Amino acid sequence: MMLNRFRRSTSGLVTLVALLLGTATAVIGTVAYEVTHEALEQQLDHRIEAEMRSLIAESRGTMPGLTAAIERRSAAQSTSSLDYILLDREGNAIAATIVTDHPAAPGYEEFLHYRRGKANGVAQALTTSLGAGTLIVAADRSGLDEIDRTLMQLFAGALAVTLLMGSVSALLVGWITRRRLARIDATAKAIIAGDFTRRVPVDGSGSEFDRLARTINSMLERINTLLDNLRQVSSDVAHDLRTPLTRLYNRLDDALSGHEAEPQRAAIEAARSEAAELLEIFAALLRIAEIEGMQDRSRRQPVDLTALVEQMGETYAPDFEANGHRFEVDAGPGAVIHGDQRLLNQAVANLLDNALRHTPAGSIVRLVGETDGRTASITVRDDGPGAAVADPSTLFRRFVRVEHARASPGNGLGLALVAAIVSAMGGDARIDSGSGFAVVLTFPTVEVGLKPA
Amino acid sequence: MVMRILIIEDDLETNQFVAKGLSQAGHQVSTCADGRDGLFQATGGDFDAIVLDRMLPGLDGLAVVKALRAAGDATPVIMLTAVGGIADRVEGLEGGADDYLVKPFAFSELAARLNALGRRPAARVESPTLTVSGIALDLHRRTVERDGRRIVLQPREFALLAELMRNPGRVMTRTMLLERVWDFDFDPQTNIVETHLSRLRSKLNAGFERDAIETVRGAGYVLRAE
Repeated sequence: MMLNRFRRSTSGLVTLVALLLGTATAVIGTVAYEVTHEALEQQLDHRIEAEMRSLIAESRGTMPGLTAAIERRSAAQSTSSLDYILLDREGNAIAATIVTDHPAAPGYEEFLHYRRGKANGVAQALTTSLGAGTLIVAADRSGLDEIDRTLMQLFAGALAVTLLMGSVSALLVGWITRRRLARIDATAKAIIAGDFTRRVPVDGSGSEFDRLARTINSMLERINTLLDNLRQVSSDVAHDLRTPLTRLYNRLDDALSGHEAEPQRAAIEAARSEAAELLEIFAALLRIAEIEGMQDRSRRQPVDLTALVEQMGETYAPDFEANGHRFEVDAGPGAVIHGDQRLLNQAVANLLDNALRHTPAGSIVRLVGETDGRTASITVRDDGPGAAVADPSTLFRRFVRVEHARASPGNGLGLALVAAIVSAMGGDARIDSGSGFAVVLTFPTVEVGLKPA
Repeated sequence: MVMRILIIEDDLETNQFVAKGLSQAGHQVSTCADGRDGLFQATGGDFDAIVLDRMLPGLDGLAVVKALRAAGDATPVIMLTAVGGIADRVEGLEGGADDYLVKPFAFSELAARLNALGRRPAARVESPTLTVSGIALDLHRRTVERDGRRIVLQPREFALLAELMRNPGRVMTRTMLLERVWDFDFDPQTNIVETHLSRLRSKLNAGFERDAIETVRGAGYVLRAE
């Protein structure tokens, strides 16, 4: 529908508003004109009537008195522009300032045509019958007509200005809107074409267009980060799977080329363990992806962190001892958080596995649980060689490994998994590599007395 | 003991691999590649255990186990899930599966789990004391005695022994023990099962001739009833 199409485009909408404004102006103008006109006519009537009274009173209603009075007024050429006609019983003018061919019946006459000298005119007139004749008091309507014309012109002007301004603003608003939208459109098209760095221009005006542009830009920023992450992960996956796949291929090649049963068997076994490692990498990657995508908070249960630290301490103590490490566990005071017990076990196990693998015999490894009431933390700290990286937080990324750790087993996914688990539970993982190496996992605690939702 | 086992698995290779292994172990095996058929067979036949894939054409594994349980069928079900499926596992167990196994798996793992499941009493009311071949374990007082001699164990060692004693004569695999004793559903890089088991073993065997815990190579550990 036409109206619908109008409503949906900005310039159409503004045009519609301008038309409405114009109509309103016209209506207001007409009403004001009518009211003003009526008021002026009434005022004229009042003047005529007042003059009529004063004339009759002055002359006591006698014909000679009236004649004299009319002549006096005529001679005075006073400011009052009233005219007078005094007729006798036969209709002959006795005294008159104007001449009319059609004297009216008693009462008001709005359009009395008259002559003054050679000029014609129209007057508002009041006719009164006297005993001896008729008295007409008339007021020229030209003043009234003038005012009417002025009013008319005024309102017509206002209407024209309203329509003009409406049209101009419709064009302007339409133009501005189109221009701003064109910028967003151009950005979107550039991004579709592959330029992911393009952003919608922002002019800092704080207008709704600017706010929209900012929102769109931050959305693009977020998408870009995710995209980068995805790209990074897929290239990492491709890169980091190539090595074990090549090894697997070589082992199988060995197995094929050998003729003796014993080395062939050894090669097949080696190939199998390569395949197992590959499967492990896949499992870890999928697990990280699943944990990162974990939305379902309903699976979270209250977990006693203190008990968890104690249990993990007891679980790992024999291994640390067997490797010649000093292992100290401090479970701290009771702290309960909201999470998934098995995933938390895995996070702590990964940290302890790391400490066990990447520190030399004789190192001290501490597993500490702490709480300040609002948050609770688990720290695994060792006094080993630490991590020689500029930004330790990169170690939470997939496949990132410290250089000297490359020789030892591991796939560089352990800390990535820890980070994913901790953030899925609303916590935060941080690396503290002052002396030695420490990972601190911090979680919000479940408030005492509050039932977890 | 011979078990009647139903395999519901659409992947032909896995299906055959499992069926062959179980037949060789002396079980009676029926196979099926579709959820709907599987449910039909499961309700009709009298099986001791069902191996059920999570992803199936027709009716998926979760729906099958739910339908079985809704019909009051308590046949033990072991569910096979895809790699990394944390949600699959939780849903499977909540849906009524008794155990789950992540693909790919070693056949010995499946066999051990089926063994543990197949002969498990339907509703187990656990007795507070367990006694197997001279070893007495009190779950309430948390004490262990072997032939009347008191043995002091660490909590994890105690839990490990309790799990073995709950399943006398059945092989418990490394991953089964990790799940049930440590609540780990992943394989840690370190040998925690081995180290704890060797500690438990040395405490349990101190002063005795016979090794109480038998290691089954490539499979797991078993506490033999005399």
